[in-house]
Amino acid sequence: MSSQLSYAELATLMKRCAGLTVDPDLMRTRPDSTFEEYGLDSLGLLAIVGELENRYGTPIEPGAESCKTPGDFLDVINTSLTSGA
Amino acid sequence: MTAVKSTRNRGAAVTGLGVIAPNGVGTDAFWKATREGIASLDQISREGSEHFPVRIGGQVRGFDPGSMIEERFLVQTDRFTHFAMASADLALDDAKLPVGDMSPFAVGVVTAAGSGGGEFGQRELQQLYGKGPRYVGPYQSIAWFYAASTGQVSIRGGFKGPCGVVANDEAGGLDALAHARRSIRRGADAVVAGASEASLAPYSIVCMLGWDEVSRARDAGRAYLPFTEDACGFAPGEGGAMLVVEEEGAARRRGVRIRGFIAGYGSTFTGPSRWERSREGLAQAIRVALEDAECAPEEIDVVFADALGVPEADRAEALAIADALGPHGTRVPVTAPKTGFGRVHCAAPTLDVVAALLSMEHRVVPPTPYVTDVCHDLDLVTRSSRPAEPRTALVLSRGLMGCNAALVLRGPEGDY
Repeated sequence: MSSQLSYAELATLMKRCAGLTVDPDLMRTRPDSTFEEYGLDSLGLLAIVGELENRYGTPIEPGAESCKTPGDFLDVINTSLTSGA
Repeated sequence: MTAVKSTRNRGAAVTGLGVIAPNGVGTDAFWKATREGIASLDQISREGSEHFPVRIGGQVRGFDPGSMIEERFLVQTDRFTHFAMASADLALDDAKLPVGDMSPFAVGVVTAAGSGGGEFGQRELQQLYGKGPRYVGPYQSIAWFYAASTGQVSIRGGFKGPCGVVANDEAGGLDALAHARRSIRRGADAVVAGASEASLAPYSIVCMLGWDEVSRARDAGRAYLPFTEDACGFAPGEGGAMLVVEEEGAARRRGVRIRGFIAGYGSTFTGPSRWERSREGLAQAIRVALEDAECAPEEIDVVFADALGVPEADRAEALAIADALGPHGTRVPVTAPKTGFGRVHCAAPTLDVVAALLSMEHRVVPPTPYVTDVCHDLDLVTRSSRPAEPRTALVLSRGLMGCNAALVLRGPEGDY
């Protein structure tokens, strides 16, 4: 498992945690599109953060669960994973 | 939503019916099975539920939630909310409610639930004690509450009018419709109203084991026999019924078929499992509902009984009907189609309301499956349906925790 979260993995998590089918390429080409546009609510994002914390065995830094866009979210997560590693 | 000066003129017309029941998925299938008295009780077979002392129930089969509800809502919700969303869709389609042309604030939602999201909750609680709090999903916070169905039907449909949840025991299924009628009087144009339950999963069945009223019979034919000498409690069921209740004037203007009217309602409380006292409470609820509907006892053409299946409770109900309706109480046809598919807690009386409206529409009183020899002074319709021309129906409900409710329905041509 890579220590960096990709758009493809984020799409997989959105499917698993929130039942959303989202094209990862769409998020990659439009990193500033909002989670709201994809139908992801705050509880869904919280579920994804919880899943990542369990997967990596490390707390994600506060603020990830309030990110509004996939681009911001990956930045926060990957910074957190890098600094925590 | 419009400002209203004379609230009494705003009649509550039912324009849409949606049912997911053990004896049929969809209103037509439900009615066909109900009219024919099809017996649908069976061994409870959901995973993990096969070995409890409660063996017989009415399970919904042939319902594929994924075919009716988007995956994002499925992930967030319990089976009882799947029933609510699916039956709400069926009711809205039936009513052909022009939601797109209406203000979102003109349409409300009200539901009742007694069991809540037990299956979802059990799964997350197992995560909690099996792996730890970090493994409990955040949707647990909304999925297992009684309020989940109202919230999700409101969100999914974009209904921002008066929304509510009534957590009031089995009688809540009637309270929800009375609440809808009140919202219509206060200015809402339409309310999606009803109840749903999915209690045939391990956690919820265990909750029932404390109730003496739940039948422990092992044979489906012997499990739920109200008003007979063999009465031994009730068989639980799952499912839901949602209705579109609409302001009469609005319904008439758009020319939709009116299925009937919510004409009167009364409710009382007489204490948990105090069945002898429920006689007085139920009789009073009926009197209040009749007065509310400006309906004489003799006008009641059919009674959909609570039919708990506990001898003391059955006696109390038969006496309550006689107390409230007088000599007419022993002559009026009484029925309890729920014996065929189980008592769906809060949704039991809501399903009865659907059956009562269809009974008036199709001019036939459906029978009480499994029941043959009645030991009370009631004209209980058994064995097969009975041709009739009911124009006014009375639906009764009592909860295990002591709530009693009565609802008077008028047919589409009736004076409500």
